[in-house]
Amino acid sequence: MASHEVRLEWPTGRTKTVTVREDETVLEAAGRDGIGLPYGCRTGACGTCTGRLLEAAGHESNDEQVLDVDDAFAYRRCQRALKDRHRADGYVLLCVAEPRADCRLAVGPSVHTELVENPWK
Amino acid sequence: MSDASTGSGAESEHDHAQHHEGPGYTTPQAAIEEGGREKLAYVMSLYVGTDVDAPDFVAVVDLDPESDTYCEIIDRIEMPNRGDELHHFGWNACSSSCHMEGLERQHLIVPGQRSSRLHVIDAADRRNPELVKVIEPEEVFEYDLSAPHTVHCVPDGQILISMLGDADGDLPGGFLELNEDFEIEGRWEPPGEIEMNYDYWYQPRQNVMVSTEWAAPKTYYPGFDLEDVEEGKYGQQIHFWDWEEGTVEQTIDLGEEGQIPLEVRFLHTPESTHGFVGTALSSNMFHFWRDEEAGEYRAEKAIDFEAREHPDWDMPVPGLTTDILISMDDRYLFGSNWLHGEVWMYDISDPSNPRRADSLSVGGTFGDIREVQGREIVAGPQMLQLSLDGERLYWTTSLFSSWDDQFYPEEAERGSVMLKADVDPRTGTLELDEDFLVDWGECPAGPARAHEIRWPDGDCTSDVWQ
Repeated sequence: MASHEVRLEWPTGRTKTVTVREDETVLEAAGRDGIGLPYGCRTGACGTCTGRLLEAAGHESNDEQVLDVDDAFAYRRCQRALKDRHRADGYVLLCVAEPRADCRLAVGPSVHTELVENPWK
Repeated sequence: MSDASTGSGAESEHDHAQHHEGPGYTTPQAAIEEGGREKLAYVMSLYVGTDVDAPDFVAVVDLDPESDTYCEIIDRIEMPNRGDELHHFGWNACSSSCHMEGLERQHLIVPGQRSSRLHVIDAADRRNPELVKVIEPEEVFEYDLSAPHTVHCVPDGQILISMLGDADGDLPGGFLELNEDFEIEGRWEPPGEIEMNYDYWYQPRQNVMVSTEWAAPKTYYPGFDLEDVEEGKYGQQIHFWDWEEGTVEQTIDLGEEGQIPLEVRFLHTPESTHGFVGTALSSNMFHFWRDEEAGEYRAEKAIDFEAREHPDWDMPVPGLTTDILISMDDRYLFGSNWLHGEVWMYDISDPSNPRRADSLSVGGTFGDIREVQGREIVAGPQMLQLSLDGERLYWTTSLFSSWDDQFYPEEAERGSVMLKADVDPRTGTLELDEDFLVDWGECPAGPARAHEIRWPDGDCTSDVWQ
């Protein structure tokens, strides 16, 4: 079974690299290595485990280039918590996402808070 | 496991005269007289979606002013897994079963809103409850249901849980029934009765149940998106059910003024067909009742909380009336405007014409009181619980982890608080108890959120009378 190096990056600067097989999700692999990523439903419905793709197969996400997350992951189940705009912005649900390329991901509980904002503010 | 097995009995905090064989109290007035002062609270406490790598827990809070540990969390029942989002919970039995000899109010059913995992806690020892059973999400998903919310007992020993989604976190939701041994009995209603679900309450003497609507779990789980409201993905209907048959008899569309009907309560007196539902987004209270002549239920807006302008915000801010409760004597409706930072009480002695009695402006976006005992109050009042005698109102400040993050991001960093107001039902007034503060910011594993509150021996949002 092929596997990929997935580098997890927290806003604090902490990083961890996990070897994730193609038949396991990033969340499962992180859990196996004792890394506590946030999660909730584990079925792709709730968004608690949301990560953001920063780099895939050597290509960085930046102002000029938005990475297609679907090139970097296959999904065990449909990502129902994400809207089209979230996918276009590189968000990915780590509870259902199985890697198809080496990549870097922004992780931690602050990532899912980026999905919505206070509409009145 | 069965409640009907032991004669040893739950160690009750109160010592009421045994006029009946089963749990609870024979009437709402008996609850007021016999219940005694609340000395402990069980509070849903959670870490889901935060930096704290720990499971959610049920907090046991000391509410006895005579105790050395008053206002402290004296026990924590940790869940076996992370990520549950403990939210609402309920008893295996309440006053609706007071005729059931041998049945006891002993087990708490504690669902994980996000995980769809169901926990059973034995609270025979009121101060040291223990987890005794877990129903894993996969078992729940087999019934094509997810996102458990409201737990009520059924008068003959079963437990009914409102489920907000199907196994994919999509619509429709439904109801899951557990038997007296806390095994899944199956789906309670025939499929297709409702799409959206949220809270429910039943009035067995009237053979009626009422249920409300939030949204599909996949819609509300990630946070509140105004676009979803515009696309009609949030609810605005309430459903009246034939309680015996488990079928919807009537659906009332509350319209634009009734968006996101959440907490719903019938009056406590078993004779009444009157009740209230708080429509959170529209921030209105709807009164409903059975029109005997027409042979159906009616609903009318009875209280309207105006949105408020904020100098630095783009749009007027709704109050977001996220919780309501009715005092055990059916005299007052209490509620919280979570976004504004307000708790209020209305005289409902004439339920069609609620009369404002008093309110407190505390925490939240506009609250006048910004700290208690030097502790900054970040979020507004949210889940409420009232003493059986109606003289003490308590509340916590977390709504739902992802919605907290949106409106009160500091709640994750600081943790929730539980506050208290002294209520004078005679004069209809509320006064903040400045000596009372329970701070979830000081939990050993890190700051936690706090949500629903229950008393060990029944409260204003648990007990129903047959």
